Amino acid sequence: MVNALSVEELSLHANGQTLLDNVSFELAMGERKGLIGASGCGKSLSASAICGLLRPPLFIASGRIILDGRNILDFTQKEWRAVRGRHIFQIFQSPGTALTLAMRIGPQLLEAAEIAGVKNSKRTVLKALHDVELDEAITEFFPYQLSGGMKQRVLIAMALILRPRILIADEPTTGLDVLTEFEILSSLNTMIEETGASLLFISHDLRVVRNVAQRTLVMHEGRIVEETQTDMLMQSSHQHSKSLAKAAASLVRSC
Amino acid sequence: MNNLSAKKLNSVYQFILILKKHSGLSIGIFILFAFAFISLSPLFITYIEPNKMDLLARLSPPSNEHILGTDHLGRDVLSRFVAAIPVSLGAALFAMMVILAIALPWGLVAGIIGGRVDAIMMRMADIIMAFPTLIFALAIIGFMGASLEASIIGVAAAWWPSNARMIRALVLAAKEREFVRAARLAGASHLRIIFRHIMPQILPPLTVIISLETASVLLALSSLSFLGIGAQPPTPEWGAMLNEARPFFTQALHMLLVPGLAVTLAVLGLNLVGEGLRHILDQREPYKW
Amino acid sequence: MIKYLLIRMASALPTLLGMTIVAFAIVSLAPGDPIEQELRAMGIVPTVEDLNALRAKYGLDKPFIYRYLDWMSRAVQFDFGTSIATGRTVINEISLHFPATFTLAISALFGTILISLTLGIAAVASNQNTASFLRALTVVLVSIPSFWLALILIYIFVFYFGWARLVGDGSLRDLVLPVITLSLGSGAALGRVVYERIRAEMCEDYVRLAIAKGVSPAKILLRHITPRIIGPLATAWTNALGGLLGGAVIVESIFGWPGLGQLILQAISQRDFPIIQAYLVFMGLGFFITSLIADIIVIITDPQLRRKNSHE
Ligand SMILES: Nc1ncnc2c1ncn2[C@@H]1O[C@H](COP(=O)(O)OP(=O)(O)OP(=O)(O)O)[C@@H](O)[C@H]1O
Ligand SMILES: [Mg+2]
Repeated sequence: MVNALSVEELSLHANGQTLLDNVSFELAMGERKGLIGASGCGKSLSASAICGLLRPPLFIASGRIILDGRNILDFTQKEWRAVRGRHIFQIFQSPGTALTLAMRIGPQLLEAAEIAGVKNSKRTVLKALHDVELDEAITEFFPYQLSGGMKQRVLIAMALILRPRILIADEPTTGLDVLTEFEILSSLNTMIEETGASLLFISHDLRVVRNVAQRTLVMHEGRIVEETQTDMLMQSSHQHSKSLAKAAASLVRSC
Repeated sequence: MNNLSAKKLNSVYQFILILKKHSGLSIGIFILFAFAFISLSPLFITYIEPNKMDLLARLSPPSNEHILGTDHLGRDVLSRFVAAIPVSLGAALFAMMVILAIALPWGLVAGIIGGRVDAIMMRMADIIMAFPTLIFALAIIGFMGASLEASIIGVAAAWWPSNARMIRALVLAAKEREFVRAARLAGASHLRIIFRHIMPQILPPLTVIISLETASVLLALSSLSFLGIGAQPPTPEWGAMLNEARPFFTQALHMLLVPGLAVTLAVLGLNLVGEGLRHILDQREPYKW
Repeated sequence: MIKYLLIRMASALPTLLGMTIVAFAIVSLAPGDPIEQELRAMGIVPTVEDLNALRAKYGLDKPFIYRYLDWMSRAVQFDFGTSIATGRTVINEISLHFPATFTLAISALFGTILISLTLGIAAVASNQNTASFLRALTVVLVSIPSFWLALILIYIFVFYFGWARLVGDGSLRDLVLPVITLSLGSGAALGRVVYERIRAEMCEDYVRLAIAKGVSPAKILLRHITPRIIGPLATAWTNALGGLLGGAVIVESIFGWPGLGQLILQAISQRDFPIIQAYLVFMGLGFFITSLIADIIVIITDPQLRRKNSHE
């Protein structure tokens, strides 16, 4: 299988601290992979590094990130612009602040459609909104008029419009109720099946990952400690994977 | 004991590291020290008496006798430049102290008490801020009569409200910090909160404000002297020296360059220190596009 | 919206009232009796009885509040008395010189906006080295006193090259050097504000999303960042107008520009109180009105405020 993305021995430092330590993993074409781990273990940092969105004091000390045979760490800003959006896109973890405050939702989604180069951008936007269960009327709204979950869904709609070849979703369903979560995950799944995109699905919640990804990476304190079938995590011999899996199981039971 | 001096050495070393990284700040500090040093130099070197006229040597260009030349009355420009340092910079520092003496308590009280007191105090500051600053200073000088003292008072009267506002903003930001809130909830007194919690927090940004504002006060005061309504001749003061140079500066360029460069460098020094400190305090980094 | 604007203006009234009290107080509390001074100027040495009679005639023996109300009632009809020095009415003198100062200040304001946008955006768009050069240039430009800059420009352009003239007749051509003098410093200072504002926005999450979407820098700046900073910048620019009006005094006196600056300097040296008072009131009023305009721009550009106001 051809890899859409491969991260090779990536180390990331800040202020003399090692935040990511020799992280390596691959994402095959059309593959959906989960990335789980406790809070603060470095999941979002890995996502930022892959999208080239690190800023000082964070810096990459060593390693390579290969996208289509090219090391993205050598990209110029112009090369980056060419791949961002249509090729690789990230749904950020903090939907509350991610949208431009002074712009209505409509133009922000249309902008994505413009970048995606779709023909009927208006219809594409409306369809994406429909897919994430949002009313058309919110195109006239400013972000502050939306709830946290609605903003989250706008971001997912943006991903649906852009249809990137690689999508990184950083906890895209936190803050949503179970029903909406289910709807959104299925529309995400549909989009990915349609476009054949690869997905890196970041979460600390094993239940959600199980709905999306066949294989899962487990991260602990800046290292990838295990990669297995998602279903096999329960049987994992690895201590950190086990505790994550156990926590998920007890949550399911208590719900 | 040994430990202590090692600690001291360490902090000196760290200070040097900071200076190395922030070249603007080190240039600014160097300029200010140079001015301080030169202003003290009359203690060791004897200059020509700054007000001694030599009508035979009027407007003479730089020479061995007069390193920076003489002015239209044959006075030595170098010694007038040196004698002007305590006047020009001293006036600016004094004016800044007066401004702080009003603005600091004003901003602290308004910020900490808040509510109606805050509204009234800020409204009063707003009334003065509604006038263009230099024009308000001009009006005060107009009412007191032109003199260096009047210009200091005028500038202080016009400059304190904006400073009070900035200090209030710092206080408000400090007040919202977690531990200050906790202290307030625990019933600590206003004074205790001010000195134990708020002052240490606003001190670094306040240093930035002070050095930048002193720069602008120095500019204003020398402008007023230049207009002939600040320091009066024959007081050596850079703005006043430039004012006296006006009719002659095509014949004696040094009369234009020396006091002008003096003001510019002093203001530059203060601005560089302020900007440098601000840069150190502001740690956020933008995303690259 | 309109209702909110009216409320905003009404809330400005106390400030306006305070301004007139301050303007009146500064002069009426001035040491030195204006009447005595006027008589001295005419060469009359008055007796105490004469003085008291004259004071009573001009109402100067009345309490402060009474004199203030009297002054206000005349001021709203643009009656600020007569100039002690020239004997002409104050409003006459002011309106004679006002257009020149207004032209100068507004031109300088446009210069300031232009320079600040150029410098600020250039600093944002440039690489590390150019950016630090621009920062250094900015600090130097901010530090040069306008009076010195003016003299240097005169030396270079008037005496050395002969491209400009010193004693002009108030034509547009004579405006060039004064406007450059005034706007270089404040343009640089505001260029830093523009740069800092944009940079602060560039640290925000929404810019990260726009970058991740693949939006070009120019579009990020124009579509995403501009609506957020235009209000604060409008405030900063109009605040700069205050500095320009003050700086105009200096520049007018150097370039011989026939504005209010010349008038006020003369008035200060002759202690011509009515002129000083009216000058303070007019400059304050002009500055006040532009600040109000800036406030309105802030309201219009902030969606959160805009919505709240249209629903009220
Ligand atoms: N800008 C930064 N400077 C220094 N350290 C940082 C920075 N950003 C993140 N870190 C550190 O990196 C570590 C990993 O952060 P990261 O955001 O990747 O966690 P995460 O796995 O996404 O956690 P969560 O599930 O809570 O989102 C944390 O310990 C954090 O303190
Ligand atoms: Mg995270």
